[in-house]
Amino acid sequence: MNKKNLMLLLLLLLLISAAPLAYAKDIKINYRLKWLFNTSVAGDIYAEAGGFFKEAGFAVHVKEGSPEKNAINELELKRADFGVASADQVIRALDRGAKILVIAQLFQVNPMQWIYRADQPEIKTLQDLKGRRIGVTFGGNDETIMNTLLAKAGIRKKDLTLTGVRFDFTPFLRRKVDVWPVYRNSQGVILKDKLERERERVNFFNPADFGVNFVANSVITSESMMKNNPDIVEEFLNALLKGWEEAMDPGNEEKVLKAVKKFDRGNNNDIRKKQLDATRTLIKPSVHIKIGTIDINAWKQTESIMLGEKQIKKPVYIETRLIWKKEK
Amino acid sequence: MHLECNNLNFTYPDSDITVINNLSFSMDTPGFNALFGPSGVGKTSLAKIIANSNSRSGDEIMTEHIDRILYSYNLERLPGWSSTGNHLNKVTPPEKLSLKEQLIRVFELQDVLDSRFSQLSMGQQNRINLIRYLLQDFDLLILDESLANVDEKLRETIILAIKDLFAGKMFLYISHNLIEVSKLCSQILVFGKSSENKDCSMIKGQDYKKGYQLNKQSLDITMLEIMNAF
Amino acid sequence: MLFRRIFQFLIVYIIGIAFLLMIKMALSLSNYVIPGVPLIVETAGQVFKDYFFDVMSTMSVTVLGQCISIVMAFTVGIAGRKSSWMGSFIKVTAYNIQAYPIVALAPIIFILLGDGFIPRLLIASMICYFPLLLSVLGIMATPVKDIEHFYIATGRMRWQLEVKIRAFENLNKLVTVISGSATLAMAGTIVAEFIAANAGIGYSIRVALYQSDLAKILVALFMIGIIISIYQGILETMGEQIKIRWSVSKQGEAL
Repeated sequence: MNKKNLMLLLLLLLLISAAPLAYAKDIKINYRLKWLFNTSVAGDIYAEAGGFFKEAGFAVHVKEGSPEKNAINELELKRADFGVASADQVIRALDRGAKILVIAQLFQVNPMQWIYRADQPEIKTLQDLKGRRIGVTFGGNDETIMNTLLAKAGIRKKDLTLTGVRFDFTPFLRRKVDVWPVYRNSQGVILKDKLERERERVNFFNPADFGVNFVANSVITSESMMKNNPDIVEEFLNALLKGWEEAMDPGNEEKVLKAVKKFDRGNNNDIRKKQLDATRTLIKPSVHIKIGTIDINAWKQTESIMLGEKQIKKPVYIETRLIWKKEK
Repeated sequence: MHLECNNLNFTYPDSDITVINNLSFSMDTPGFNALFGPSGVGKTSLAKIIANSNSRSGDEIMTEHIDRILYSYNLERLPGWSSTGNHLNKVTPPEKLSLKEQLIRVFELQDVLDSRFSQLSMGQQNRINLIRYLLQDFDLLILDESLANVDEKLRETIILAIKDLFAGKMFLYISHNLIEVSKLCSQILVFGKSSENKDCSMIKGQDYKKGYQLNKQSLDITMLEIMNAF
Repeated sequence: MLFRRIFQFLIVYIIGIAFLLMIKMALSLSNYVIPGVPLIVETAGQVFKDYFFDVMSTMSVTVLGQCISIVMAFTVGIAGRKSSWMGSFIKVTAYNIQAYPIVALAPIIFILLGDGFIPRLLIASMICYFPLLLSVLGIMATPVKDIEHFYIATGRMRWQLEVKIRAFENLNKLVTVISGSATLAMAGTIVAEFIAANAGIGYSIRVALYQSDLAKILVALFMIGIIISIYQGILETMGEQIKIRWSVSKQGEAL
């Protein structure tokens, strides 16, 4: 073998051996979301698809959630490093001794709202709820929120009709239930679209407008992760929030929708676009609000609502579990 | 009363083996007759063909004054949900109740009427089955080993009683017992061994009746005739 | 027999809980992931009354559904036992449908008929109907030659007698398949409730799942296990009583 060939061979060997080293540099992270892939998690998807995680040196496996797969369980069982959970899940877990911390609050406005037809009287005050047939998911946080609203307004359960709801909208479509719980930026968009095709207009009833702020999806990690790898936590969070900022930028809309479409087979492009617009208003309600900001008062209110509803036995002092990232 | 068989041929379904080959015979009077021969030679097949002759097309089997043919065999069972006496009562026509009592005595079944069928011995089971056939309307009754597992003495008692009580009927008794058929049967259709290419032959039996006197010499001749035809 | 069943279930349940507690200790999991015994007991105290009524509700649907399906299976099985075109059609249809997981139709049934007792009853009946029907069809379509011959030959056979003979001769098989269908009916009802109902223990489990409350789920599983053990024990005892009354052992041998 002559010198030239030998050099080429050596170069090839170097490249081959360098490749695993390059991958070894990327830290493997498991990130468990709360629900299925859809536009509501555009930022989580885009942080990976847009290369933000990779840039920070992470190989992140973003996994979708479901009723059976719970991010908090996964953190404890060390199957996930980070996760997304709603405030009620977090507070309930802390009440049961789970060792978790909240590192960012994704939804600044809770998407949990109620949809109703515009041909019914508008709900301007809480008293307007009287006499209506309202759907709630028994055992879900929408039930907790509705109970809080009713208690706030002094409305008794017999002044209206509360019906347990399931995944399908049939009772609402068949007008058996007037006020139906939806996530404003996902099912809310689909239902609104569906009804508008039937020339029916809708309104949304937002508990936050009536002073009930129940915090929604937030990013969590375990105490041990924070204790042993605080740098990883900080860098991961930076990359994630950067991904979210870019995903919520209208200028990146096309790229973001393309990334979401790969995972969200259930909807069409038009619906996804509307869902993204709605998500934007909930994640980043104004340009001044930094994505991921933790609203400590809202968290405290959530805890006191749950204590009042006997969802938890004792206070968990949630403010001690909220970790806001250091400003760089 | 006349039973005639003309050039009957029978092959098992899905088989090339000809079980009955050009069989012809006739039985002209009521009486207790026999089908005798080794296993597998076609006795049961013939019996079933005769039993179904009314619904069968073709004229290989012809009968005269024989309207009702019943076929009984030794594996039959009575339903098990109540006593045998109960079941027997249900199938006994009202005019034959005294005949029933008589048969029960002869067949020595007085003590088992309160028991269920599965509690009886095999011999008792076959006897109770036969009684219920005897209580029905029939012109020809075929007994395909219907007295299997019954001891010899009682079998003889039973056959003699049947001949006495049902003198105007025809019976076809399928049996392997040489002495029994020689003594008690009127006409014996002997099936020859197919491996030795022997045809069937009709041998006249001793046809003893109740209170008979045994004639050993005649009996031996009959038995020899049967053995030769075998 | 009844107490043995309950005892067996308790053993299995306690082993299950012990296993979970072992995992809890080994991985140092909080009460949120795997509740400790005090929390399970405390939760049991809180939800016992509600879950008891839920289980009774599910049970009533199960029992009624099973009864309906037994009656229907016998009716159709007896009607379909002949080898006429109707009988063949019933056999083929039953065979094909029973291979399909009926419980997967639950969401459609709930959408069309709404929540409530009737859809749950329909699902419970349908789930145990087809296997029962196939067994009954098989039994009713198979002649018992040795018993039936006499009655056919003497012109005494009636369809009622034929059914009685065939049912009696296959009593063991019938009792087994009816006991087995009890579990099937219960499991199917619970799954149907889980998917899409608003009552019953399956529904309560779903609510507990929303709240990730494993303690509640464990209490619910306990109650389901106890009730199904009692129900099956009762069915088996009834089956034994029927067998004793209707049939006797051969030659005086003990059953």
